[in-house]
Amino acid sequence: MNKLKLFSTYFILSIATLVSLFPFLWMLISMTNKSVDVSNGRLLPGTHLIENLKSLFENYNVGSALYNSFFIAIVATILCLIVSSLAGYGFEIYRSKGKDIVFNILLLSLMIPFAALMVPLFRFFGGVSQTIPFLGINTLFAVILPYVTTAFFVFLFRQNTKMFTRELIEAGRIDGLSELGIFIHIYMPSMKNTFAAAGIISFMNNWNNFLWPLVILQSPDVQTIPLLISNLGSGYSPDFGIIYTAIVIGTIPTALVFFFLQKYFVEGMSGSVKG
Amino acid sequence: MKKWFLLFSTVLLIMALSACSSESGSNSGAEGNSNTDSITAWAWDPLFNVAALELAEKQYTQENKDFNLKIIENAQSDIVQKLNTGLSSGTMNGMPNIVLIEDYRAQSFLKSYPNAFYDMSDYINEEDFADYKIPPTSLGGKQYGVPFDTGVTGLYVRTDYLEEAGYTPEDLTNITWEEFIEIGKDITKKTGKKMISLNPNEPDHLRFMVQTAGEWFTGEDGTTANIGDNEAVKNAMRVYKEMLEEDIAHINTDWSSRIASFNSGEVVTVATGNWMTPSIKAEESQSGKWKVVPVPKLSVEGAKNASNLGGSSFYVLNIPGKEKAAEFLADTFGNDVELYQKLVSEIGAIGTYLPALEGEAFNQKDEFFGGQKVTTDFVNWMREIPRVNYGMHTYAAMDILTGELQNYRTGKKLEEVLNDAQKQAEAQLN
Repeated sequence: MNKLKLFSTYFILSIATLVSLFPFLWMLISMTNKSVDVSNGRLLPGTHLIENLKSLFENYNVGSALYNSFFIAIVATILCLIVSSLAGYGFEIYRSKGKDIVFNILLLSLMIPFAALMVPLFRFFGGVSQTIPFLGINTLFAVILPYVTTAFFVFLFRQNTKMFTRELIEAGRIDGLSELGIFIHIYMPSMKNTFAAAGIISFMNNWNNFLWPLVILQSPDVQTIPLLISNLGSGYSPDFGIIYTAIVIGTIPTALVFFFLQKYFVEGMSGSVKG
Repeated sequence: MKKWFLLFSTVLLIMALSACSSESGSNSGAEGNSNTDSITAWAWDPLFNVAALELAEKQYTQENKDFNLKIIENAQSDIVQKLNTGLSSGTMNGMPNIVLIEDYRAQSFLKSYPNAFYDMSDYINEEDFADYKIPPTSLGGKQYGVPFDTGVTGLYVRTDYLEEAGYTPEDLTNITWEEFIEIGKDITKKTGKKMISLNPNEPDHLRFMVQTAGEWFTGEDGTTANIGDNEAVKNAMRVYKEMLEEDIAHINTDWSSRIASFNSGEVVTVATGNWMTPSIKAEESQSGKWKVVPVPKLSVEGAKNASNLGGSSFYVLNIPGKEKAAEFLADTFGNDVELYQKLVSEIGAIGTYLPALEGEAFNQKDEFFGGQKVTTDFVNWMREIPRVNYGMHTYAAMDILTGELQNYRTGKKLEEVLNDAQKQAEAQLN
């Protein structure tokens, strides 16, 4: 009975694995095939990989797109971690009369879809362009700024801070640490799982972000990887081999980030804190 | 931890600094709209529209040496998104000087953003262009768009399959969709190949079927729904369903599987716009096995064996640099006969500028199509395309009809289908 149960568990799990891995397999196989073979649904690896890579790198500025994507994802993630961890910490640790009302209003902003914010934001950055051009339309900072912090990350940090032992703060104060010192030397090391989880989510969101970079970035030299991939499919006769090659290149960084921080991610999301 | 924090801050600082320096470098180019020396254009498809603009620039700069065109390539849906956001925010900041817009969408842009586009009436002569291109590209008697490529449709046929079933391409020339279905049933029976590939979730065939009858989903004003009592729509829906029911249709689910349907030799015919030619020719092993005949028509009075699917036109935005951009378009796509020869011979784009649609480039025999003068034929059919106003809501109407097509297939009566579609359209479109 037990064996049967085990067998059926693994059987179902294998099918689920196959189903979820197939798109990746398809992606990897397709990057080695010619466009015609891809559209004909060829499931065997081909010999066209070098040609695909060559024509992708020769015809499109993949290097600059990778740089832009990395720049946006890394800077936005770092800023996001700093701002939202401080905010989450402050909301939970410090006493203030109106803090719960402010926090609830902040949470309400989660309900506004980005599509509704897009036009006002564009207008705002149009105004910024007039006075501070390096923060305005068509710059990487205009992509980053709206994502520096969102209510979600503040919420994530506040929830996890609930499990942070307050006695440590008292101890720190007695030992003469400044408030910022307590945050840096006591809070940050003990919350590294939360930082890792928030970091992964923020990195992935920013790496994969499409709509906002699409409208705010205009010229090819500030293009990000998702925009580049979208452009590859812009023709009446798209070259699917090249498209899949670009998709693989665009997937690798998020996959790597996730694999390396996976352990922390699971712990951070479940909110455990090691004492 | 302190070390980490320091490291983080340093990385951040370095990246910020490097970005600032590279930003100031790229900014000079990015401000194409305020800096009137350089004209920016947005277009999709590097091998087609972008290539056409590059050719035009090459021709134009021979005489205007200081002219500088910056072409930015974006997917069509992305251009629509960017234009809508930019124009509705009211700041023209970051908008291009020239933009390519598909004819089906043009009216909604022209009407929604009244002062955003520059009147081209003084720069080009609208009578020089194919008649059917004018209603989508003009508004209130003013010509805004410079008509570019034609989406003239044809029926690509596999001659070897036809022969196997005892038919010739002539049997499929100038027929109605009913005749097409009859022949299709016979060919499918004899060869085992499906006659046509359809995607019921994206029934774009309906669009050019309806246009063969000179009708559209909206009325002359471009906004009133015209589905319920529209014989052409009724006919097209019936034909579409019949093709699915008679089992002569191969079902595709997306663009790549549609292309696969003919690249892999599963279907006998492809009914679509002439821009499909490169995708058909991509399968070199099928060279000599294809021909193109006029697209079938609806059996509605006045219907012609000519229609259009897609096609787009250039527009100039009402921002600094507009005169320069307008002169460029007028001198190239609005005037340059030689350019149109190159467009055909170098990128296979068939324009709609009538004075330039003959000459050597248009008379080339294409060995892939068994020596047929494909371009000549397409141009001749283009002159026949019935003129319709695509109005404001082509894609909204198509969404409604797509939904109702599913109801129709599962047994709902055609009259009810059309009446319900009409009601939905009246509620949604205004």
